[in-house]
Amino acid sequence: MLNIYVLIKQVPKSDNLQINWKTGALIRKNLENVINPDDIHGIELALTIKEKYGGKVTAITMGPLQAEAALREAIAMGADKGILITDPMFAYSDTLQTTLVLKEVFEKIGDYNVIITGIETSDSSTGQVPYQLSEALGIPLITDIFNYEFEKTLFRCQRNFGHESQFIEVNLPIIMRIGRHFNTTRHIPLSRIKRAFEIEIEHIDFNAINCPSEIDGCNKSPTQVIKTEKLIHKRKNEFINGTIKEKIQQILQIMKDHGVEKHWIGKK
Amino acid sequence: MDFELSEKHKLVRRSVRTFAEDVLGPLASIMDREARFSLEVAKKLSKINAWGLQLPQNYGGAELDSISYAIAIEEISRICASTGLTISVHNSVSAYPILKFGSVEQKEKYLPNLASGKKIGAFAWTEPNAGSDAGAIECLAIEENDHFILNGSKIFVTNGGIASTYLIGAKYQTKDDKKGYVVFILDKDMKGFEIGEHEDKLGLRGSSTTSLYFHDIYVPKENILGQLNDGFKIGMHALDVGRIGIAAQALGIAQAAYEHSINYSKGRIQFNKPISQFQGISFKLAEMATKIDSARLLLYRTAFLRDKGSNFSKETAMSKYYASFIARDITQEAIQIHGGYGYMKDLPIERYYRDAKVCEIYEGSNEIMKFIISREILRGNL
Repeated sequence: MLNIYVLIKQVPKSDNLQINWKTGALIRKNLENVINPDDIHGIELALTIKEKYGGKVTAITMGPLQAEAALREAIAMGADKGILITDPMFAYSDTLQTTLVLKEVFEKIGDYNVIITGIETSDSSTGQVPYQLSEALGIPLITDIFNYEFEKTLFRCQRNFGHESQFIEVNLPIIMRIGRHFNTTRHIPLSRIKRAFEIEIEHIDFNAINCPSEIDGCNKSPTQVIKTEKLIHKRKNEFINGTIKEKIQQILQIMKDHGVEKHWIGKK
Repeated sequence: MDFELSEKHKLVRRSVRTFAEDVLGPLASIMDREARFSLEVAKKLSKINAWGLQLPQNYGGAELDSISYAIAIEEISRICASTGLTISVHNSVSAYPILKFGSVEQKEKYLPNLASGKKIGAFAWTEPNAGSDAGAIECLAIEENDHFILNGSKIFVTNGGIASTYLIGAKYQTKDDKKGYVVFILDKDMKGFEIGEHEDKLGLRGSSTTSLYFHDIYVPKENILGQLNDGFKIGMHALDVGRIGIAAQALGIAQAAYEHSINYSKGRIQFNKPISQFQGISFKLAEMATKIDSARLLLYRTAFLRDKGSNFSKETAMSKYYASFIARDITQEAIQIHGGYGYMKDLPIERYYRDAKVCEIYEGSNEIMKFIISREILRGNL
């Protein structure tokens, strides 16, 4: 019986994102909100673990009240419960502030065995929360998993490590971080949708957690986005003329200029 | 007054859309080409409870409201209108009348299997000599002792070749010579029940349409749906609900044709610019968008009225008439925008056109829809 928690985030649907180039901010008006693509795979993993080893799946998100919809979608997929961490004091939190809140929430929960996260969110792409949370809670974070099993309080897995694979055995609790190639997600059974909208979502606010003095998303987030710029991929075309021999000479010169020479050109 | 879909309705749309694109997307043109409904698809539809969209959860259904129902049929039909029809008919004119008019025993006997898709349902009223003139059916059930003996035939029965549970409309004659209309629940394994050939159709080729023949079928009285003389009322009420499904199906087809037209006209360059920048094309797109929005609002309002328990005969007729009319129009214009490419079978545009046409014909022709609408408004139901 594992207590499995999956961290999810509600993000704007990313197939048609538009940015206000004056402020550098995402235009969120009229955007459809969905669960962050990585996180759907996290929910799938949580449900798969529950089906195989038994347990309870709780989806957690931090965000405004409208983020309840993401939790209800997770419940429709098969999660047992949803927790919304919400308070005006948490607004504008960067990854560190988010982690501080999550740490307090998990310490309040206490009996967690597995925390699942995605790699990153599609609307900010920092990918920092899994690492920070591991540090804050003092529990191992395991990334790039491709085979795993649970045995009582042990977790064993195989993970990608460059061109090798590592075999790892650790004690629970752990954080598993997975990406969207890890599994294939299930389709939502429509019979769960009614229940998903009837079930009560637990709310956790500023007053429900400890050490609020450190927590102030708006004023104490160390990360500040100063500017957003369009990334332009520039490629320059150069034409080389002359006889074959001249062309080779010119190519060698170009490679030399780019510092490729010392790797192999010199080995005659 | 709130025109926003609720989060629940948005989730229904997203869920069914993902399923339809993933599962039906690769199969729709194959089902059309091979003219068969795939039983593999039937199993996958079971997994998302598509066979029991509005049936209560205690029978294994999804217990969705009518707006969700319309959204589900619309999203399935956007990818595969044949599957949209199969599901729509099963839910609205087969499972639903049993839920609404059936006895407790009938509900317990039939609904769990219909909700799971273990058994597929069909509804048969139309006969060779009774189309728009629904009262002219000739199937006859004659009472003998404690049962009826049924003879006759039905044509153009959707799901005819894949169903197990059939609702059959017939005339009856009792021992004391009382006459009227009755609806029976029949099983395909009953003695004397014969299923005709698979019809070769213009569109919706991935759905099953057959004739049915009844040869001296012994029908116990427990197979009567509702009361003996309720047949016509049950049949007409079932069609009122069925029209929500057909309007949603037509809307889904129109939506697909519209989306293809937008994408194609933005990418197709002629005279050095995308053809979407020519007024001849952009006005077509504007007309499509307006018509689809109108049809959708009308349909959701009809579904809303049904859930509220109001009479929705006029609105459902308007929805079905208007959505099918614009679907035929929009699919036709979509071919025009795509030019020669639209006429070829490499793209699904020509399939949309073929699939859309029948929506103006079945579940009551559009001429009958206008008859119903005018009857209601002239009666004072403005």
